[in-house]
Amino acid sequence: MKKTVLAFMLIIGMLNLAFAEKPTLKPYQNGDWSNLIKTTKGSPLAIHFWGVTCPSCIKELPHWGSYLKSHPNAKIVFIQVDDVSTESMQIMLTKANLQNANNYYVVAPFDERLRYEIDPKWHGETPTTILIDKNGKATRKTGLTNFQELQAWMIKGS
Amino acid sequence: MMFKIFTSLSRPLSLSTLLLGMLATVGHTQAQMNHSSQMMGATTSKLSACLGSGLDCANAATPFFVADDQLLLAWTANGVVSVAQSSDLGKTFSIPVKIAEHGKSLDVGSDARPQIVSDKYGKVFLAYTFFKDANWNAQINTARSTDGGNTFSSPTSLVQDGSSQRFPSVLIRPDDAIFISWIDKRLVAALKQGGAKRLGGSIAYAFSNDGGKTFQAEHFANENSCECCRIGGSLDPQAQPVIAYRAIFSGGIRDQASQVISTKGAAPIRRVSDDDWKTDACPHHGPSISVSGTGKFHVAWYTQGSKRSGVFYANSSNQGLSYSKPSRIGAEDVNVSRPYLLALGQQVWMTWKEFNGSRSMVYIKHSQDDGKTWSTPQWVSQTSSYSDHPLLVNQGNTVFLSWLTRQDGYQLIQIGQRQ
Repeated sequence: MKKTVLAFMLIIGMLNLAFAEKPTLKPYQNGDWSNLIKTTKGSPLAIHFWGVTCPSCIKELPHWGSYLKSHPNAKIVFIQVDDVSTESMQIMLTKANLQNANNYYVVAPFDERLRYEIDPKWHGETPTTILIDKNGKATRKTGLTNFQELQAWMIKGS
Repeated sequence: MMFKIFTSLSRPLSLSTLLLGMLATVGHTQAQMNHSSQMMGATTSKLSACLGSGLDCANAATPFFVADDQLLLAWTANGVVSVAQSSDLGKTFSIPVKIAEHGKSLDVGSDARPQIVSDKYGKVFLAYTFFKDANWNAQINTARSTDGGNTFSSPTSLVQDGSSQRFPSVLIRPDDAIFISWIDKRLVAALKQGGAKRLGGSIAYAFSNDGGKTFQAEHFANENSCECCRIGGSLDPQAQPVIAYRAIFSGGIRDQASQVISTKGAAPIRRVSDDDWKTDACPHHGPSISVSGTGKFHVAWYTQGSKRSGVFYANSSNQGLSYSKPSRIGAEDVNVSRPYLLALGQQVWMTWKEFNGSRSMVYIKHSQDDGKTWSTPQWVSQTSSYSDHPLLVNQGNTVFLSWLTRQDGYQLIQIGQRQ
């Protein structure tokens, strides 16, 4: 009986471990933006849009992983925009050490309707990072990120 | 320690209760994860996916009018490439022919679309792209039909190369020779192997004299181009292909270029406009070009350069040696995108898409004097759901807008007539 119970406990433990380590990829679509940026609560927030098929995004993604490792309290959201399998997104995120980051993926077409509420003038270039400062003001940065500047902005908060 | 605690509770009822409690804990953990994965306002329940491979679920559709006025339409939907025919201007279509199924590996990026052309004998040539490996290297596949699009050959790779080829752009000449250009990354890959790192791709091209069955050796028109934007193409009065694309100029400037591809090879690279867009980003927004009967190049494009930002038009009367001053398409404060041009004789039609926050609207304007003056923009169609780029296609002297919308169906709307 004791062995059975022990075995059962081990299984339970492994299940919990498996669930705990499973990376989460959350869906993102039209209408989600306002809820997403509400989470800032006065802290600066960076929302990074990237695509699996975008070479410069893939080149840069490990740098985001390094930055987050060095600055674990930085509020960063990652949103993958290409219509690809979630498995392929997770592979890229794991390679970049971002598998446990705050990850989303676009489930609706990444078109003008989806982008409008984020920034009406954004035409969908990737990578793009939206910086929401402590006062809620948004700034769009297209292209590769200067992480020293990002850190200075995070500290300043605006 | 844990075992001891458990031992002390090893009565049957207590054990059952505890086991149920532990399972509940796992379930709770799982429930929390699920809650987390749906935290964006019950997002999953709001999803309304279109799951079929039919035109109603397509993300991009490309038209081509065959000599007998039959419309061929190629589209991609949920990983499937299909072709169908219409003899009533897009009102009804034949049962679609599935050319290929690639699932989530099919290239459905916002500037990707299948290419289709046909000669007057019903020999149809089709090209599309899928991602062939875990590193997202792309492959251009081609397929052919000898019976007007009723049946197609099995798709085969356009080139034999291990790196990446993407964004095919296909033209058919009056002598039925096929011209194909694409973004090729073999030079970038070779540099990478040598230790050098460079973003971008190259513009490659090839000709076929047998309906796309075989192609002559591929050449590079420009070794430095953006890797994520479509190539625009048109034939000049001598039936020479003229391409427009987002080049990478010195300093990492991703501005537009045009180039004539003559029988002798690629002519010099001509800069369409000095927009000064220095970026490493993928714009996913390539240009459009159409060459008029006088040989004038008409080009429309998108930029976020330091010198101008938005969607613009310019033309050249000297094969791209110099271009007119860029003029803005649409209003500056409006979300304008996806310009497209079609020239017949000295008449030029231009279309583009605007989004007002709730509806995507397609506009048309027209020039009767080779781009010197233009009519007031006219609103032609609108939709409140997903829509493809607006395209222009001609059936002889009649010009149509071809626009795929998710909610309002595929639209082929007559918008002009060559005088």
